[in-house]
Amino acid sequence: MNKESKTELRQHINRREFIKLGGSALAVFGSSVSCKSVSAAKQSRKLKPKNILLIITDQQHIDTIAAGGCRHVRTPALDRLKTRGVSFTESYSSNPVCSPARSSIFTGRASSETGVHVNNLPIRSDIPNLGQWFSQETKYETVYAGKWHIPRSFTNDIPGFKVINTGIGGLGYLCDTVTSRACEGYLRNRSQSRPFLMVASFLQPHDICEWLRLNTKDPGQLRYKELAGELPELPDNFQFDKNEPEMVKRTRQARDPANANWSKQQWQYYLWSYYRHIEFVDAEIGRVLQALEDFGYAKNTLVLLTADHGEGTGHHQMVRKNTLYDESAKVPLIFSWPGHVAENRTESFHLVSGLDIMPTLCDYAGIKPPKNMRGRSLRSILGAGIFSWGHTIITEVSSNRGRMLRTPRYKYITYKDDMVEQLFDMKDDPGETKNLATSSKYASTLAEHRRMLRDWESRLDVAPNVPNSDIWRRKG
Amino acid sequence: MAKKKKRTVVGSPLTPGLLRELGAIREFAFASEDFKPGGNWVNTYRIWTCHGYRESGNYNVGFVRIERAAGKSKEEFMLIVQQQVVQVDGILNVIDAQMICLNDQLASPIEWHLSSRFANPDGRAVSELGTEETVLIKGNVMSVKAGGRSFKRKVAGRPSCDWCLFEAVQRLRFDKKSSLAFDILEGLSLLKEGQHLSYRGVYPMKIGGKEARLHRFDQIGEGVLPYEYWLDDKHRLLAAISMHKAYILDERAEKIIRQRTEQVRKSYERIRSARRKKN
Repeated sequence: MNKESKTELRQHINRREFIKLGGSALAVFGSSVSCKSVSAAKQSRKLKPKNILLIITDQQHIDTIAAGGCRHVRTPALDRLKTRGVSFTESYSSNPVCSPARSSIFTGRASSETGVHVNNLPIRSDIPNLGQWFSQETKYETVYAGKWHIPRSFTNDIPGFKVINTGIGGLGYLCDTVTSRACEGYLRNRSQSRPFLMVASFLQPHDICEWLRLNTKDPGQLRYKELAGELPELPDNFQFDKNEPEMVKRTRQARDPANANWSKQQWQYYLWSYYRHIEFVDAEIGRVLQALEDFGYAKNTLVLLTADHGEGTGHHQMVRKNTLYDESAKVPLIFSWPGHVAENRTESFHLVSGLDIMPTLCDYAGIKPPKNMRGRSLRSILGAGIFSWGHTIITEVSSNRGRMLRTPRYKYITYKDDMVEQLFDMKDDPGETKNLATSSKYASTLAEHRRMLRDWESRLDVAPNVPNSDIWRRKG
Repeated sequence: MAKKKKRTVVGSPLTPGLLRELGAIREFAFASEDFKPGGNWVNTYRIWTCHGYRESGNYNVGFVRIERAAGKSKEEFMLIVQQQVVQVDGILNVIDAQMICLNDQLASPIEWHLSSRFANPDGRAVSELGTEETVLIKGNVMSVKAGGRSFKRKVAGRPSCDWCLFEAVQRLRFDKKSSLAFDILEGLSLLKEGQHLSYRGVYPMKIGGKEARLHRFDQIGEGVLPYEYWLDDKHRLLAAISMHKAYILDERAEKIIRQRTEQVRKSYERIRSARRKKN
């Protein structure tokens, strides 16, 4: 192991030890934590937001917010949330596929545990979802609007929630508008005396999947010539390492651009179109946020925005999701609550995941989370910015065949029955272009990451219906 | 185990010809001789959606009916709009809007009443989700009365509206040189800036064995996938296509959607009964 890797790992292990020790270990970090911020966090810890609004988008790449630096979109609603809250840059989906990711968001458990290892499966019956848990443990009225997908994409029957709107499959364009109108109506008409937990689950920008099926063929010229000067540039990591795991190669080959041999211009037109989908959902989110403002809820509502998974957006010549590269695995994660969550802070140190949402919301509601949470409450980070842990993130994929382990410095990717492993230095190569797994220089780093993955696997309570559950303990 | 049916990707953007190929239309409702875009008329559009496959997943999800009442004033006219969208399990959303529009190029709305209503799968109205608002635009200020409260919001210039554009394109000249720049209030509520509307040209095509000439306007801007408005020689808007969504002029649209709502609700009732039995 090289010296740098050793230092990274030591820091990482120290942070893990810190978590075990709890608050008393704060002194370890010396000047990183001021007394004032600790006291502010303690005060904040006592307060509960009267209401909670969880906004979920579908297939949103993390870098799609104008206030976060994306130059290709206009996103006033997302900007408003970002500038009034804490947004995470190292935020990962627990499984970059719709149903599995959602099962983790709503339970705080890995998708291999919830039994939702692929789309259209239900959460295993002995694990409560957020709505069920809040209905049982709190006085919050739990309401749901929009896409669910565990198992049915759109349904009037969601355990633990009163459904105020369902949606329409594969059509965010109309479904999201009706969803935001239902949320607006709910906020306007309800009695303010009872607290609410409302989920506004939008389908956009997922319609990019329909766009891809209607634009597979590259016509060789732009349908709208005036866009020629406006098309976004391709990402720096558009090219990719040819020695990838087979699963990744197959995923790329099965998709529209590879099949149709797209020109650079068609790729750019796809990007331009994706950003319009983002603006579309931004406006619908804006309607809900405006209703919070107009009807007196804004000051006492904790708003959380995330997505189930990202979108390829041409990085590594990928479209859609279902891979462990950052474009697919990373998701936006923003928390806002005026006066209680820090304002306009971009949080780049902590690695966080969809698994953290359930314990965080339970923490804010003043209740214990269900047992066996795989994530942690982010509340201490959100209030006063306490430097509390380094954390590792594990993301699953491909029907329990793929794993990604992210540590502060590295990302390790492995697939069942595939000799090709990937190790990326996320500090020096954030675009994931140079696989270090084959370099002897990184052999011990690789071994350590394999070991950490084994540790994680050994703690999981894998659902009986999930395939390939025995293989992970054999790895390494 | 049942084999998955093979599906063919459509592969190209929707056009009037492709709508016919995919079964969305049999023929277009070309305007009669006496159609006057600036007069009184009712156009009802079926909202048809395509999920990108030829064989499945393409269906009608709603309609929008637009009625134009010219009145005596040359400066203003009225648009009366109803849109119904039926969703999974039979939840229905009905939007009603009555608006006074300027008789300008973009039918800019200056005053309106808008309501949104929901009905649940058994057809009953869900009163706690309904909204109503009255809006007046004066100068750069939009005054909104909603839910017993009043709000003022700033607007720049005179925004149009997506439903108003269905009216406005029918009054525009078929002129390749002209291009309009504007903002819209989508659904009379969501501001989307930087829109451009341009005439693209005339497209001869064969529809249902008949020769036809369709004219096309394109709308491009923030927060929308490009809209293509297809009109006949009499300036009647026959279809508006935005990516995988098509508004198709069809006088049977309301009936079709009523039937679909019933179908969806029956199907939901079957799912519920099956679940009850299982439990």
